[in-house]
Amino acid sequence: MNHWILIVDDETMIRENLKAYLEDEGWRVAAFEAVAPALAWLRTGGVCRVCIMDMRLPDMDGNSAIRILHQLYPDMKFLIHTGSSSYSLPEDLRAMGLDDRRVYHKPLSDMAPLAAAAGRLAAGEEAP
Amino acid sequence: MSASPPRPPSSPPPRWPIPSNHWARRWRWRLAFAVVASIVAIAVIDPFAYRQTVGSPQPAALVTAPYSLPPNPELAVPERCASSATLLDRWLGAAGPEPSEFEVMLRYTIWLLLPLGLITVAALLWSWLLRRQVAQRTRQLQRELNERQQVEAALRESEARFRDVTEAASDWIWEMDENLRFTYLSERFYALTGIAPQYVIGRTRWGLADINTAADAQKWQRHREMLERRRPFRDFVYQTGLHGNRNEGRYLKVSGKPVHDAQGRFLGYRGTGTDITEQIKAEAALHESELRLRRIIDLVPHMIFARDRQGRFLLANHATADAYGLSVEELVNRKVPISGVYEETERMLADDREVIESGVSKLLAEETFTDHAGQVRTLQTFKIPFVVPGLNETAVLGVAIDITEQKRAKEEVARMRLYLRNIIDSMPSVLIGVDPWGYITVLNQPAEQAGGLSWEAAQGRFFGDVFPYLESQFEPVRQAIRLGRPIKTPRMTLDVQGELHYADVMVYPLMADSASGAVIRMDDVTARVRIESMMVQTEKMLSVGGLAAGMAHEINNPLGAILQGSQNILRRVAPDMPQNQAVAGAIGVDLERLHRYLEQRQILHFLEGIREAGARAAKIVADMLSFSRRSESRFAPVDLEDMLETVLRLAASDYDLKKKYDFKRIDIQRDYDPALRLVHCDKTEIEQVILNLLKNAAQAMAEEGVPTPTITLRTCREAEYALIEVIDNGPGMDEKTLKRIFEPFFTTKEVGAGTGLGLSVSYFIVTEQHNGRLAATSKPGQGARFSIRLPLTREPSP
Repeated sequence: MNHWILIVDDETMIRENLKAYLEDEGWRVAAFEAVAPALAWLRTGGVCRVCIMDMRLPDMDGNSAIRILHQLYPDMKFLIHTGSSSYSLPEDLRAMGLDDRRVYHKPLSDMAPLAAAAGRLAAGEEAP
Repeated sequence: MSASPPRPPSSPPPRWPIPSNHWARRWRWRLAFAVVASIVAIAVIDPFAYRQTVGSPQPAALVTAPYSLPPNPELAVPERCASSATLLDRWLGAAGPEPSEFEVMLRYTIWLLLPLGLITVAALLWSWLLRRQVAQRTRQLQRELNERQQVEAALRESEARFRDVTEAASDWIWEMDENLRFTYLSERFYALTGIAPQYVIGRTRWGLADINTAADAQKWQRHREMLERRRPFRDFVYQTGLHGNRNEGRYLKVSGKPVHDAQGRFLGYRGTGTDITEQIKAEAALHESELRLRRIIDLVPHMIFARDRQGRFLLANHATADAYGLSVEELVNRKVPISGVYEETERMLADDREVIESGVSKLLAEETFTDHAGQVRTLQTFKIPFVVPGLNETAVLGVAIDITEQKRAKEEVARMRLYLRNIIDSMPSVLIGVDPWGYITVLNQPAEQAGGLSWEAAQGRFFGDVFPYLESQFEPVRQAIRLGRPIKTPRMTLDVQGELHYADVMVYPLMADSASGAVIRMDDVTARVRIESMMVQTEKMLSVGGLAAGMAHEINNPLGAILQGSQNILRRVAPDMPQNQAVAGAIGVDLERLHRYLEQRQILHFLEGIREAGARAAKIVADMLSFSRRSESRFAPVDLEDMLETVLRLAASDYDLKKKYDFKRIDIQRDYDPALRLVHCDKTEIEQVILNLLKNAAQAMAEEGVPTPTITLRTCREAEYALIEVIDNGPGMDEKTLKRIFEPFFTTKEVGAGTGLGLSVSYFIVTEQHNGRLAATSKPGQGARFSIRLPLTREPSP
């Protein structure tokens, strides 16, 4: 249960609420407002298996961030948490094993499903 | 003929009258009276005086007496007078005394007078006798004379009559000598021909002739030969070269016979002649007129003919002959009746006979006739009885008009009329034809339905009476006719039995040759107007959707903060969470008491309110986001049955639903069409629609407290659509509600219970995203039925 969950979201309250919930669930959470600091944290030794990625980010879009992270850390699993209603998964991300079930639309009135999914991935179980 | 009538055979007046003997008779009687008176006087004075007068001389009387006395021996000799006195005395005896002188004188006078009287009487008698004989003879002569006069008169009369006849006759008399030269022409010749006889006398007939043609020459040759052979001839007609005073050659007709004397010597010819110029001209004119008439009847395109009782043609024009494929001569000269199609011929002959026998004309408005080419024609025939001149037999005279084309045209017109009638009836528009005064002339079927009157019943009525809601169109009708262009009244609002209807009304002027008028076309566009307003709404929704899509990210993040924040707060004040207990224990707070405090101060309740409000706002944003067209990428074949079952499970586990109604209490009837399984659609969207319908049904039934709430889910194939029906037995809806349920933000639920977008989103999903249809039928107290129709064939989304 010591695995880290990485959250990248530029909306502070979303980021912190998610962090708080996951921490309450017992996870260690690293939350960043952009991709660059997250990458910096990973480069400085941060280890995590799950990343909850927002799409609209200040330095790059979520899809590109996932591609970069996937290239650097092929084992990393991703969950997408987006405020965009018209988001659809690009084919190359699907090829990485992502599907619509890993896309969560904001606002989440209940964080439990997302937390559960993140927990399962962090624990090394394949997502249902 | 002579103008003078024959004289009546009366006797001529008596020119020799028998002379009246009145005077003679008077004298006779006077003489006789005188004699008798004298004798009486003598007798009275001296009857016996003779005795005394013997010897006295009486010389005068004795001289004349012997000439007038009848033979009397005593009186014959005057010298014996003296002795006679003696004689008298002897016979009579002497008596009395001797007479006186006077007496003697008297006696002698008496004796003298007596024979004188006797002689006078005798003379008178003789004269009378003689006169009688003369009168008798005269009468005889007169009679003879009269007879002769009568004979003469008769002769004269006969002569006159003959003269009159000759003069009055149309013929003249001519005579020729033995050299065949005219010697005599009666006066009639000039009167009739205008040719003076002096031009003719002394010439031969051929010398007068006008010979123009070879036939003429031949004719003359024959005539001349005949005359030279001295044969009688009759009715020789020729044209003279003499013009007389009439300025034209005359046609003469002559007959003649040779004249011979008692010894049989040929003296010449005598005969009669007549001028037949007028007759020939009349004949020529008649012929000309007949030809003209013939030409006219041949020119007439209709069949003109006369037929006898046996069906033989007595007369036929070209058209008739053509119809039989014969020439006019062939047709008329045919001895046997024409035979065509048996029934037709029989019928025609029967008609002929009917006309002939009844003597009444007959009109056959239509009869068929097969001509020689086998073409069936329709004829209109008029037959009248017709007495054949010269034959004294009744035939039938007919005129047949070929109305084949006319009939065809008429039928075509009727067919066209029906066709047009069908066309105008097939139009969904209400069509009302009116005259310039607004009286109905034509209604089509939709108009009959709209007006509740048949065309026949409505004809002639004012259109405003039949269609009260169109009465305002009278002015446009007049205007359209006046201006000659259509006048539109779009989207006229009509109050049809208390319901608001929209109609596009157009008035077209009719510009026929004679009759002007207008056609009022009314299209009920209520449905279109509703659809249009719906489309406007849809457009609104789409713009809402676009707007929502644009700002969703911006709204969803704060909503996320609110929702997630309130969830975290609720979690972190919960007394049973180990992390909470750990932190509370570290800072010395009794979590249980804190929780009680939060409860008592309703802080948790408020937090829950914040969470619900956030969730509702999120729902609204999500619904609004549905009003945007999606790509078809999400379309996939979906198993309807599976999908419906999924939705039923979702409904049963729906958080909102569970909180307010127990979905499990509802009896779910499944009526699935096993043949209908795969439908191409966006599964999540359709699921949302059906779920929405189920939730509405459950909500409505729960509100009404229906004792046995039932929802029937039904699928079936309907033409090109897959039909999914959600039927409940809830309270139903009235018509007004039913019309508005698909409008966005229309809701019958209490404030806060729904977003008011559910059904409009469903409508949008079905109609806009799936090209399907969503319809609702309901009546108050009878539940509601929602029908989703999804096309089975894929069409590109608009």
